Amino acid sequence: MRPFAAASMIALGALALVRALRRRYFRVEVAGDSMRPTLLPGEYLLLSRAVPSAGRLGAGAIVLLQDATGRPILKRVVGLPGESLRVGTAVFVNRRRLAEPYAIGESPLAQHRGVNRLGEDEYFLIGDNREASTDSRDFGAVRHERIEGVVRFRYWPPRRVGPIGAPHRELGQAEASGELPLGMIPPRN
Amino acid sequence: MNIRTRVAELLRPSLIAHAHCDIPCGIYHPHIAQQGAESVERMMVLIGELGTPGDAAGLNSLARYVAEKEKAAELVKHEVRIIWGDYFKPPHVEMFPDLHEKVWNIMKLASTCRQGVGLDDAKALRAAVDEFADMFWKTKA
Repeated sequence: MRPFAAASMIALGALALVRALRRRYFRVEVAGDSMRPTLLPGEYLLLSRAVPSAGRLGAGAIVLLQDATGRPILKRVVGLPGESLRVGTAVFVNRRRLAEPYAIGESPLAQHRGVNRLGEDEYFLIGDNREASTDSRDFGAVRHERIEGVVRFRYWPPRRVGPIGAPHRELGQAEASGELPLGMIPPRN
Repeated sequence: MNIRTRVAELLRPSLIAHAHCDIPCGIYHPHIAQQGAESVERMMVLIGELGTPGDAAGLNSLARYVAEKEKAAELVKHEVRIIWGDYFKPPHVEMFPDLHEKVWNIMKLASTCRQGVGLDDAKALRAAVDEFADMFWKTKA
């Protein structure tokens, strides 16, 4: 094969690959502090456009959606469809304390809330920096259809390059009944 | 410009995703106040259904409902005060000349809900907060 034809084929192949990758993935730059320490401002991320279907999107995944003003935001999936959640100084899922080694700080009192049961396609999203994040504690559960991407990889800065996956979810012992968060309907007895 | 900076610029995405912080970044949202008003109303319903407790369990429930009502009503006042004082600007007041009166009314209703157990007061509070939220969103339209 002539060198020019070979080079053309390679170039076309590369172009096709790039187009295929762009259909599956997109890139974002992080701005803001609400996902510290996991994501830092100025980092570049690769996200998958293929969002697992409702019920298959796992807890711990970091997802992108648009807030009420149309701005893309990044938050972590903490509550899954069908689960009951209580957010106080810690997060309780179905009355069991969620281990969250990725989170820093405690939810401010004004953001304490409870969700009796997430709908079949609803997720509860929270920023890892609990004292500096506007998220489901403020705007409520998010429907699956609003999630536009899942963070897969960080490619900048060089010292933090690597995959970003969902950590193994650990739920502790069932909590004893205690103070209910604002909005949580108390039991009759 | 050094090599690292040049590489960073080449690799920089065009889309910025906000791992966003709240009040210090100027983000306001009436959702919390609305949730608080909803909670006040719910507690009033539960208090009404409980009636006059005749045993320790009933008194315990009543105490919890009242405590939640107190917290929720105070939260409504806090959140509305923040948005009224920090977010609304003179052009917004021109849009809604009765804004200050509406906020004063919310404060009064929230206090009334703390002081008593009237479900009608809770319904009025919720309606007032929803109206306040509606004004807020219209300023963003």
